[in-house]
This record gives sequence, structure tokens and C-alpha cells, in this order.
Amino acid sequence: MSIVDLMSMATPNFGSREKILAKLLRRDVVNCFQCIKCTSGCTALKLLELKPHEIMKLVNLGFVDELASSEIIWTCATCLKCVQRCPQKASPYHVIMALRNLAVEREAKVPEGYLKAVSQILETGLAEACRKIVTRKMETVDRECLGLPEVNKPKESFQAVFMKAMEEKP
Amino acid sequence: MTKIGVYICHCGMNIAGAVDVKKVAEYAQNLPNVTVARHYTYMCSEPGQRMIQDDIKAHKLDRIVIATCSPRMHEETFRRAVAEAALNPYLVEIVNLREHVSWVHTREPEKATEKAKDLVRMGVARACLLEPLEKRTVKVEKSVLVVGGGIAGIQASLDLANAGFKVYLVEKSPSIGGRMAQLDKTFPTLDCSACILTPKMVDVAKHPNITLLTNACVTEVKGFVGNYEVSILQEPRYVDEKKCVGCELCTKVCPVKIPDEFNVNLSQKRAVYIYSVHAVPKIAAIDPTHCLRLKTGKSSVCGKCQEACEAKAITFEQQPATIHVKVGGVVIAVGSEVFDASKMAELGYGRFKNVVSNIEFERMSDASGPTCGKIVSPSNGKTPRSIAFVQCVGSRDKRFHTYCCRVGCMVTLKQAILAREKIFEDVKIYICYIDLRAFGKGYDEFYSRARDMDIDFVAGIPSEVHCSQNESLYFDVFDRGTNKLLEIHADLVVLATGLVPNSDLERISSLFHASRSADGFMLEAHPKLRPLESAVAGVFLAGACQGPKDIPDTVAQASGAAAKAIDMLSSGKIELEPLKAVVDKDLCSGCRICESICPFAAIEMKTDVGKDNEKSRAEVLEAVCQGCGLCSSACPTGAIKIQQFSNPQVLFQVQAAFDKARPRGGK
Repeated sequence: MSIVDLMSMATPNFGSREKILAKLLRRDVVNCFQCIKCTSGCTALKLLELKPHEIMKLVNLGFVDELASSEIIWTCATCLKCVQRCPQKASPYHVIMALRNLAVEREAKVPEGYLKAVSQILETGLAEACRKIVTRKMETVDRECLGLPEVNKPKESFQAVFMKAMEEKP
Repeated sequence: MTKIGVYICHCGMNIAGAVDVKKVAEYAQNLPNVTVARHYTYMCSEPGQRMIQDDIKAHKLDRIVIATCSPRMHEETFRRAVAEAALNPYLVEIVNLREHVSWVHTREPEKATEKAKDLVRMGVARACLLEPLEKRTVKVEKSVLVVGGGIAGIQASLDLANAGFKVYLVEKSPSIGGRMAQLDKTFPTLDCSACILTPKMVDVAKHPNITLLTNACVTEVKGFVGNYEVSILQEPRYVDEKKCVGCELCTKVCPVKIPDEFNVNLSQKRAVYIYSVHAVPKIAAIDPTHCLRLKTGKSSVCGKCQEACEAKAITFEQQPATIHVKVGGVVIAVGSEVFDASKMAELGYGRFKNVVSNIEFERMSDASGPTCGKIVSPSNGKTPRSIAFVQCVGSRDKRFHTYCCRVGCMVTLKQAILAREKIFEDVKIYICYIDLRAFGKGYDEFYSRARDMDIDFVAGIPSEVHCSQNESLYFDVFDRGTNKLLEIHADLVVLATGLVPNSDLERISSLFHASRSADGFMLEAHPKLRPLESAVAGVFLAGACQGPKDIPDTVAQASGAAAKAIDMLSSGKIELEPLKAVVDKDLCSGCRICESICPFAAIEMKTDVGKDNEKSRAEVLEAVCQGCGLCSSACPTGAIKIQQFSNPQVLFQVQAAFDKARPRGGK
């Protein structure tokens, strides 16, 4: 093996790396020159310790397995700042999404919230459910008391299409 | 009967690594008209050239085909070698087996060998129809036009003038000096920029061989190498150059204040102004778009400068003047511009007062600048307690410019050192970088000097800069060294803005027919072997117009370009390639298509007055024609041919391409 991570004795998985690169249509991932701009501005860094530049380097070196099974790839808040500002158009966001796909494919553990979101979409067609909220005046309000119309439920055909899409593996 | 010698070059392993040269030589041996076919490690070497010369004598060869690298590389070498053996040098045909075959088919040697055979067969076919040609000699003007009066233009002008050439130095602003005149100190020695530049500026103004044309631009270029006819438009200064003494009395009374470009708009000047403290020539100029008198065109308006001027130098009646000069060569030295950092919105330039570019910092640091050399936060004029530099702004960035600006790192190190020297211990200095590049002579020592001065280097660049209510700045940056996210507070953020192509380059390149590279800078004739010339004969390049450059490199290139011009023009005549268009007068119908299509204006219509009627015919100005072939392919009657690329020559070669099984002979 050409390279070994002596901290964890992990070795690269070039097959999976190729898969990820192919998914990104060679989106200049290998061009990352570690300027760290992505991490400097990452929304998920301070609380969740997501370091996009580390992910970029690990993918480029082929250490994909560890990433695909880690929880860190699920912390990305998808704010897309890194996509906008990356000087090499290397787009850490797209790499993270490809890693998530790989994780699902491998049936790795997916955080609760994401599974909830899926059933939410299936039921209501919305990623985020209609909820009651507390205003600044500490009043609890919902759509009904604000006089807003009820949100339409998706058609049954939608659910069928959605389920089919979920079953299709990339 | 034609006797052809075919020579296959191995180019070390460059060609032989992919092409079976022995097989190709054997194949060539059996082609019609081929007398000898050989292969050798380096055809361009002395023994390689001698091999050809010996064969010419021994076998009485009259055509030579050399299958080797690109003709751009060694065609000239082989022509010379053949000429030494008393054969006309234009009877040589080059087949490109390196760039066209081995380098592009490295991994498929069998196909490469087949392609090599095809190309050699085509080369042999064409060689049969080659005709001997003679070079022509033309007289040249021993004078040079230098476009741009920055340090590159100044250095090139002085070198040319000292060598006895007449120089016309054209500068678009009212003073020479360019970008270097705006700088405070220069790396890596910290010489004061003005101290080393101004003596050279004065030398230019005083030199008897230099005609300095400021406030001027080139508007038209005609002619060809050795004989360019150039029109230069000189805009009026509205000040008599002979009378003005540069006393600045006028600038004190002018009521109109406008931003001062020389100080990158950090201060104001008057509508009548002297370009800078060190301006050469030190003559006032009036900005016609802001001067009240010139704007309104009424003689009753203002005129205060005219009243104040003791030398009676102000003349509102001055008109633009067009000057025509004849020159043998041209040095383009128009320099570059600084990247506009407001395009990179996240860093806050243009939104936050205390985010400045490195050229603005330079003007602040200069003793003759808007703050008299004090480094301040522009929002309140106070000395900053903390300064942060951000590297690679607009450079190494696929959204803007992919190249490295080659000066940003060193400029920042210099400015950090200057800040430390000027503000001493009371300031924290941070440099946020991607890679610090200190590649030149004495540069890494300069980097080490900066580290000795307690300057903090943060390996990482911020994603965005924020501004608090009191105009002080802060940003997050993740540091590779500590693996920590740091929040840096700064009273001044300096952006290392890179160099970008001059906005005039589009116009300049089309005026001189000189091309530009993909990055927008001027394109050199060869990136390694001809870096001082454009592809147009007699047009040379100096300084940052060819690519971002620091002062040492700019001066070196300027002197080099001047030497190239001297080399070309010093004998008073030059030899021109005979590969030109020729017109068959009997076939020409006078349709003028060639005249309209020629990019070099090398075709003139001549009218013959015959017995019965007048007939106009195309005529090629031999020295102007570059042999591009547009006219030949456009000519509906086939009256124009390009020597060495005539229709029969090219068609016979094309035919040979499809004659794999049964190669045919020539004549």
C-alpha cells in the first residue's frame, strides 16, 4: 500500500475515491490547494467541528472509508459558502454530499434527523413540518390563529414516485 | 530526377521512445525519389548536421526531409546546415514527429510508428515540389518607439538611446514613472523607490536621443519590421510646455477639487495639477473634464490659474496634436493594473473604510503621499494597533485570475516590515497566507527578516471580513499550524491585490497585431527561448505587460528587449523570409477580396492603364506580408499563391496522405 495513516492504521480506498470523483464530474476536487478558506468560513465549524479542508485532503489521499462512516459529514449546514468562495472551484459541499451518498449506499448509520425529514417529506411534501412558534411577546401561534390557509397535502402519486426514487440506488 | 535524403531524429528518447525510428527509416528508403534514409540520436547536433551535409555532397541530394521536432524549434538550424552544403535552404522539409506524434501518442507505439510513416511519406511528396527561394534584404530605420513610460519603458529607452538609437517614448499620463513611482520602498533591499527611479526619469528627459511624448497615445501603426510608420496623438495639457516652470502657483488657486489618481484616490488634487512630486516633465496639466473654463467653453468663466501664472504658460486654446514618426522597431512596455478588490465582495473592500489594497497602503507609507508617510486607519486617521494582511486577492483564484501575481507575497512582507519600523512595538501584525513565495535572489532572506521582526504568520485565509459599529474589523481564520479557528481583530486590513492585464492591452495588441495569451497579458514568441519578443517581427515586449513582474525582472526584461531591438536594427538592414504571397497578374481580376481580408494591410490595388481599358490588380507589399495565406485561400481566381505553400505543393502532400498502398513519385 502506498500510504498508511499511522494514527488509525487506515489505508486508502481508491475505488471509492474514484466513485466520488466520478460523481462530482471531476469538479476540480484534486485542485484543492489547502488555502483553508472553506474552514475559516464554515458555519458548522464552531459548534460541530466540521473542517471541510480536512475532508478535501482525506478524499484526495483516498481515506474515504473513515469519512463515509463518520458522523462529521452529516454536520454540514449546506450554507454553500464554501462553494461560492473556493478559489479553486473545488467545492467541499459537493464532496460532502457525495460522501453522504456513499454512506447511504453502504447502509451506514444516518442521523435521526435526516430519517425524520424523509418521512416528513413523504407525508407532507415539506422538509420542515408546520409548527407552532413562540413570538417575542411570548405568544404561541400557529397558521390557523394567524389566519393562514392550511398547507395542501401532496397527492398520492407523489408518494409513489418518492418511494420509487428512494429505492433506486445510485 | 529528384534525389531526396530523409533523416529521422530520435530526439534522445523523445521520439524514439514511442516511434520505431528504424522501421520509419526503412520505410522511407523505399519511397519514390528517396536516395538515402537514415536515423540518428540527435539530428540537430553537430554530427547529425554533418551527416546531412556529407550526404548532399556524396549523393548529390537536391531535397532534404528531416523528421524531427517542431519546425518552430530547429527549422532555421537545418536550413543553415543545408545552406553550408551549397543547397538552397528552402529545399528542406520538416516533418514534426515529436509534437505531432511521439508526445501525443506516447502510449500507443505501433500507431505512432504508422502515423510517423504517413507523415514522412507526405513530407517526401511535398519535398519533390519545393522550389529554391532567396531571402530579401530591406533597409531599416535606426529608431525605436517605446510605448509606456514606467520603469520598463524608461530602462529600454535609456539603453536604446545610449546605444545611439533615436527613441520616441510615448506615455499616456502627464508624467513618466509608472507604477514604480507610486511605491514607497522596494523589496528586498528596502531602497526608497523614488530615490532609484527619479534619476532615471530625469536622464530620460535630458537624453538628446530620446523624444519624450507625455499625455499621448499611439493611434495608428502602418508598415513593417524596420519601417513602421506610427501616428501618435498628443492630448493637450492646456499648459505651454516651454513656459511652465512647475512652480505650482496655479494649483493653489484652482477652485475645483477632484480625486488624485496618483494617490489612488486617497487624496484630492485640483483641476489644474502637477501629476506627482517627482513628475517628469514637471509641467502642470489641466483636466478638461473638470476645469470650469474648459467644461463650459466660456471665456468669462473662472480663469484663476491663468491670472496666477507668472510665466503666462496657461493656454486654454491648445489643441490635440498628431505626430507621425518612422521607426524600425517597437518596445511595448505598457505595464499592468492592480486587481480591483471590490470584485471579491466577501473581503469588504469598498464597503469598509479600513479595508485597503496594497497599492493604497503603499501611497500611505510614502513620505510624499496623502498621509505624509503615516500608516493610519482611513476611518479615523489614527495609527492602527493591529494590522492584518490577506494574501492572494484576485490571484490564484479561478473566479478571477488563475495565475500567481508574483509580487503579492514580497509586497506584503515589505509592507509588514515597514509597518513594524514605522509603528514599532505598538502594533500587532498578522499575515494570512496560502503559500508564501519568496523565490528571487535575496527574497527568502527578506522573508526571514520579516519573521525576525515579530510578525505573525497565519497559515490560512479568511472567508469573510466583518466590520463592527466603530469601524474596526474582525474575521475568523482557521490556522493550519495550530489547527484552531482564530478570530483576528484589526484596525487595518490590507489586501494583497495582484496584477492584472492593463485595460489598454486589447487596443495595443490589435494596433501592433501582437497576440495575447489566455491570461490576457501579451504573448511572447516562445515562453522559454524568445521571452522578449512578440510573434510580430520588430515588436518587443518589456515588463508587466507580458505577465506579472517585480521590478528586478521588469528591468532585466526591458534591457533585454532593448538589446534585442539593437541586435535587429544595428546593421541598418534586415533579411526577410521569402515565404510571401505573390500575385499572378494575368489571373488577377481585381475583385479586392484579398485587400479586404489581409490582416496586415499588405495588399495594395494598382491600376494599369492599358490600350482599351483600365484594370486594377492586387500587388503585395513584400516587406509587410507575413505569409499567413488568407489571401491565397480567399482568391476566387487562384491568382495569389504563397511561396513554399502553393496549391500544387499542398495538394500533392494531401494526396500522399491517402496513397498509403502505392506512394507516387513527383516530377
